[in-house]
Amino acid sequence: MSDNKWNITLKIHRQKEDQPPYFQEFHLEVDPDEYVLDAVERVWAFMDRTLCFRHACHHSTCGACGMRVNNVEKLTCITPIRAVTQDGGVIKVEPLRNFPVVSDLVVDMSNLYARMEMVGAKAVLPVTQAEIERPPATWPADAEQYLRLTDCIECGLCISACPSAATSPSYLGPAVLAAAQTVGLTAETLPIIDSEDGLWRCHSAFECTAVCPSAVDPARRIMNLRQQVVRQRLSSLLKKS
Amino acid sequence: MGKPHAIIIGAGFTGVATAHDLALRGFDVTVVERGDFCNGTSGRTHGLLHCGGRYAVKDRESAIECIEENMILRKIVPQVIEPNGGLFIALNESDLAYRQAFLEGCEACHIPIEELSPQEALRLEPNINPKLLTAFLVPDGTFDPLRLALAFAATAKKNGAQFFTYTEVNRLILDGKGTVTGVTVTDRRANRTYEIRGDIVVNATGVWAGEIAKMAGAKVPVKPTPGVMVAYDQRLVQRAINRLNEPGDGDIVLPQRRMVVVGTTSFEVEDPDYIPVLEDHVALMLERGAELIPGIRQARVRGKYMASRPLIAAGSGRSAARTFKCFDHKETDNVEGLVTITGGKATTLRAMAEKTADIVCQKLGIQAPCLTREIPLLSYRQYFALS
Amino acid sequence: MNEKSNLPAPRKFLSWFNPVGRQTGGWAFILNRITALGLTLFLYIHLLVLGKLAQGPNAYDSFVRLTHQPLFIFGELLVVAAAFLHGLNGVRIVLTTFGISVPYQKQFFYALMTLAIIAIVIFGYHMFTS
Repeated sequence: MSDNKWNITLKIHRQKEDQPPYFQEFHLEVDPDEYVLDAVERVWAFMDRTLCFRHACHHSTCGACGMRVNNVEKLTCITPIRAVTQDGGVIKVEPLRNFPVVSDLVVDMSNLYARMEMVGAKAVLPVTQAEIERPPATWPADAEQYLRLTDCIECGLCISACPSAATSPSYLGPAVLAAAQTVGLTAETLPIIDSEDGLWRCHSAFECTAVCPSAVDPARRIMNLRQQVVRQRLSSLLKKS
Repeated sequence: MGKPHAIIIGAGFTGVATAHDLALRGFDVTVVERGDFCNGTSGRTHGLLHCGGRYAVKDRESAIECIEENMILRKIVPQVIEPNGGLFIALNESDLAYRQAFLEGCEACHIPIEELSPQEALRLEPNINPKLLTAFLVPDGTFDPLRLALAFAATAKKNGAQFFTYTEVNRLILDGKGTVTGVTVTDRRANRTYEIRGDIVVNATGVWAGEIAKMAGAKVPVKPTPGVMVAYDQRLVQRAINRLNEPGDGDIVLPQRRMVVVGTTSFEVEDPDYIPVLEDHVALMLERGAELIPGIRQARVRGKYMASRPLIAAGSGRSAARTFKCFDHKETDNVEGLVTITGGKATTLRAMAEKTADIVCQKLGIQAPCLTREIPLLSYRQYFALS
Repeated sequence: MNEKSNLPAPRKFLSWFNPVGRQTGGWAFILNRITALGLTLFLYIHLLVLGKLAQGPNAYDSFVRLTHQPLFIFGELLVVAAAFLHGLNGVRIVLTTFGISVPYQKQFFYALMTLAIIAIVIFGYHMFTS
């Protein structure tokens, strides 16, 4: 790839326990085709071992390394440095919004996981139910035995980017609603989803779909849920009359 | 007497699986991890639920471990596994020459395989190299690395284990008689240092096992042996694709969500804290991956990273056994109160934990059978949903 | 943990209006909220003015003189603009909210805003030249 190195500045959000947060600058030499996560990891490895950040798979399947990079939600393991700055530039790295900050770049995503559990989200689905990139026109008879990991990696980028999630702590959030749509509504989950803090709190900013790194398209799924719910309500209304 | 207290250093695969095993055996378990779950080697594993075919010829011990654990994991933690099988494909005469040894090896290790004609293989996987000469269907699978670990951690937590992430071990606490009695840790979130005392310390730090053992004057012959992984942005195959040859570089391609990941290479380093991606290794992955799946050339690189295997030094590189070992440091270095578990593969995490827990129980004079073969794991999300 | 600054809270409503880091859908969202506030403000002023008119012919005449000022006409144009932007974007919101045309929401926004701008220009032309 490139032999040329860039000199960049990382401006990293720091926060320890009850201390007020601040930004700390680190100057490093990087390969522009490396990823933002690599730069953050270098800072930890060679410059400041007190830096806390979360990462695991380094290839967009675990969802651990979501951060705000120059004000935009990104999965840092697949965001090349080249895409967010130039030689001599600055990369601002902050934790995701709308989650409690544990330290530095780490946020507490327990809420997200607990809510996903509440709507019955599944990590693997039979391939006939999982929405995949090029489904065949008809599935072979034995297709059900094949499972597929769902697209959503629970990275939290969508919740960080959502303006409704910014002002409403009890809003379920795009990822959770998308998961409910993927796995299907049940009698138990319907009242949770079809509620003030569920489906109807979304106000069509579409930022969730814009930042999702995993082709989940939460906005489309939320609107589709609305279609389903309204249809159900209408049909039950018509049945009564 | 209360429950025995085990302190486990490391929340990668071995750490969480050992926490699960010991919790089920009635231990109080404290896991300390300087980063977050799987931030070392475990997170970056290729994600292959090995059937053992890769090792059936030259490393039968590993192969048998793999197929047994493959079946167990399918039963206890199906929630994170795509159990869609795999293929070993032969592309040239040299590969075909390996066929007989492969058949015999899999037979000896009880790995169920089925030979397919090229047409049958292409029907299953239209994107593999159409020039393949033969193929074997094997019970491989792919898994989500972080969520596999979280499933173990969730179950351990439900059974009383405590996990402290961003908590780095600075020192092993030794009493006057050379026994490890606990650890001194720094909570990196708050820059606070404190001690944790326990009846046994389990060093589950993988490639860093030597560094931790050194804190007690003990030695662990682990060689950090990294290799590259390259993820491409198209899911060109639905199951694991292996090259039918002696284990070499770039001979495994796995689907992982909407990607395929090609791996890997093998070289030794001294310091595994940060290993930059080597571009010639990436180029090699493209070449070798494209031999198996030509369509990779039209895909774009989505991510590339280095993952360090913890190889136990007996031979090196590809000839080193991929089996695991639990070191009782009383035997190896006359240091009581410390065991190290390292080596191994992601697929054998439960077996590594069983062996470690057996040794821990034996050292503490506790009779408690291993229960992890049968007990299904909780949903990985329960780690967070449980308060 | 100093979580206060990062947790969601109703008092963070000003963040709705921050365009930094947002994309098309986010800009549409901000535009809709600003025009909504503008139209609400207009409605309030409109009612106040009507109240004034109920005070008799002198109040009415002085008001009519005011309405011929260019600044006032410009204000009216702003209201017209807000109505078009909010109304047309509103059509997009209503359709997408029931699952129609969601994958094309960006193009939809650009198309409608183009229509809105054309309408505003036409109205503006007529308002300032008659």
